[in-house]
Amino acid sequence: MFDKHKFVCYNRRMISEDKLQILTESAKYDVSCSSSGSSRKNTGGMGNGYISGCCHSFTPDGRCISLLKILLSNDCIFRCKYCVNRLGEDVRRATATPDEICELVMDFYKRNYIEGLFLSSAVHRSPDYTMEQLLLTVKKLRKEYGFYGYIHLKGIPYADEALSREAATYVDRMSYNIELPSDRSLKLLAPQKSKESVLLPMKKLALEKSVFQAERKKGHFLPAGQTTQMIVGASPEADGQILRLSQSLYRVTGLKRVYYSSYVPVVHDSLLPEKAGGALREHRLYQADWLLRFYGFSADEIAGEGENLPMEYDPKCAWALRHPELFPVEINTAPLETLLRVPGIGARSAYKITTARKHAKLTFEVLQKMRVVTKRARHFITCCGKYYGAGNQDAVKLLLAGEERRENAEQLSLFSSRETALSALTGEL
Amino acid sequence: MIYLYDGTEEGFLTAFTKAFSDENAQLASIGFQLPLGQEAVTIETDTSLAEKVKARLLSFDRRSMRELGLFLRSGDEDSEQVAFAYFRLLAAKKRPVREMLHDEAVRRADDCLSRIGLEIHRMHGFIRFMETESGALYAAFAPDNDIAELLVPHFRARLAGLPFVIHDVKRKKAAVWDCKRCFIAPLDRAEVLLSADETAWQNLWKRYYESVNIPSRERLRQMRGYLPVRYMKFMPEFYRQ
Repeated sequence: MFDKHKFVCYNRRMISEDKLQILTESAKYDVSCSSSGSSRKNTGGMGNGYISGCCHSFTPDGRCISLLKILLSNDCIFRCKYCVNRLGEDVRRATATPDEICELVMDFYKRNYIEGLFLSSAVHRSPDYTMEQLLLTVKKLRKEYGFYGYIHLKGIPYADEALSREAATYVDRMSYNIELPSDRSLKLLAPQKSKESVLLPMKKLALEKSVFQAERKKGHFLPAGQTTQMIVGASPEADGQILRLSQSLYRVTGLKRVYYSSYVPVVHDSLLPEKAGGALREHRLYQADWLLRFYGFSADEIAGEGENLPMEYDPKCAWALRHPELFPVEINTAPLETLLRVPGIGARSAYKITTARKHAKLTFEVLQKMRVVTKRARHFITCCGKYYGAGNQDAVKLLLAGEERRENAEQLSLFSSRETALSALTGEL
Repeated sequence: MIYLYDGTEEGFLTAFTKAFSDENAQLASIGFQLPLGQEAVTIETDTSLAEKVKARLLSFDRRSMRELGLFLRSGDEDSEQVAFAYFRLLAAKKRPVREMLHDEAVRRADDCLSRIGLEIHRMHGFIRFMETESGALYAAFAPDNDIAELLVPHFRARLAGLPFVIHDVKRKKAAVWDCKRCFIAPLDRAEVLLSADETAWQNLWKRYYESVNIPSRERLRQMRGYLPVRYMKFMPEFYRQ
């Protein structure tokens, strides 16, 4: 029989609208909102994991709302130069109780507003105290409230490692923010943090997870792994250096994702640039990051250590233009990994091509009808031996750059194609 | 010639068989607005014939009937015609054809099915429940495709122990989960008595939605690409004051 008292809540701990606003506004610059990678089962409570991730709403800035992204407290003892919540800054402060957060998650989840919780916090009182409060909240949510949905927890640097290890058994994903792409910039802009204070806990958790998996223990240990994020454009590092850092994080620390956040000046400081970092650079970095993770590229192939990514065209185009000796490739015979390196052909198109060509020779017209985007690709492929591109390198460069300009001019058509819409929905983006 | 059938799976399979060798055949369900001057026949559903065709198509492709079920839920104007062309190709090739994307019929079928799949996935996120006085949940929506029933397993797994109703206001029907079984009921208008806290939670959600946005980075076109305006009507964060 359905027991309504088990689920109906009597708003004794309902958070106030103002407190919710303060703690949300303080958390909104955090980039990650993905809810993918966990298939936690519901065993008699509320919620479950959704392996591909799920977006529940979209805000006018074009970002998705998947998780309830909130700080437990924005009352910080650190003084990171780029942060709205830094010590001494004149902002409204608030701290929520673990129960307020739990009630909020349960009631939002029940109404299908959210896919789970992304809980973070300013360093309130001390790193250990903050981490204890975070742990207390997620533990309560799982054990007392019976919540089986997705939880992403932010790790607090310098907190006792036993605390983060225990938290990892309750949540689906943890992340420590690298914040800035080099130790030097970190020292300058976030003097109370150090590279070790974020890298060390990440490595420890990665090690713990591999032990956990090897021993085939019961329960969970970060089923959706770890991620990190860094601010781009607040410090002088080149894209090449940033991509090398990401590559080592993927390879050595086994991270699921690195998020890049284009610098937005929210506070003023003589050490910080006055201008925002720009969306295009962030976009290029994500494109390059995709090449690292899904397209078999290495950072060396994409950009030299001190180089920046070209703004005129995407990094795969830039790479292909540097290697005219490898193109054009024949669409009907090229192996999958070669197709993936053709500018304009993404994973979905490459899959469509390899599937369809088993049944018939693919002509250029058929390719277009299959909705493989050919405006970039046509310069780098042949269909049944025929070439449809501009031929000489200079003409190709001109056309590609013109294409990009048109795209960028149309405010953010960057993301408005059906393919990207799909990947955003499935949480890849 | 237009072949009219009763909208059921058996009806479709009967009409499919009758129309099979007619080059200019068009399949449509009864109620379809006939174009002037077009000839039409109404096909009487023949259950035993349908069973035979079903078995035959299944022997060519084990997923074919699952796909037919989806085609019949499609809200596209020409979905029956698309399905007809697709199954005709399947019957001719006598093996799965879904990978033959160079073929127009397969491509159109693939598009039609992906649109349904996309809408189901979107609705897993965009459905909005309201808590009623009894504790049961109620959601209204108006999807492009007839998918209310197909959403039940997803919500049933995560809202264990909570009964819920998903109301398709466009088709005037509801998928109901009463914690024991799922059934479909005709439902025109629902009188919903909200729980005492419902409005307060909706207000909290609206405040959250406003607070998490970064106004200096407005990208409305991108937002609407992901969240079509027609779905917003049922989502509290977009309710007008």
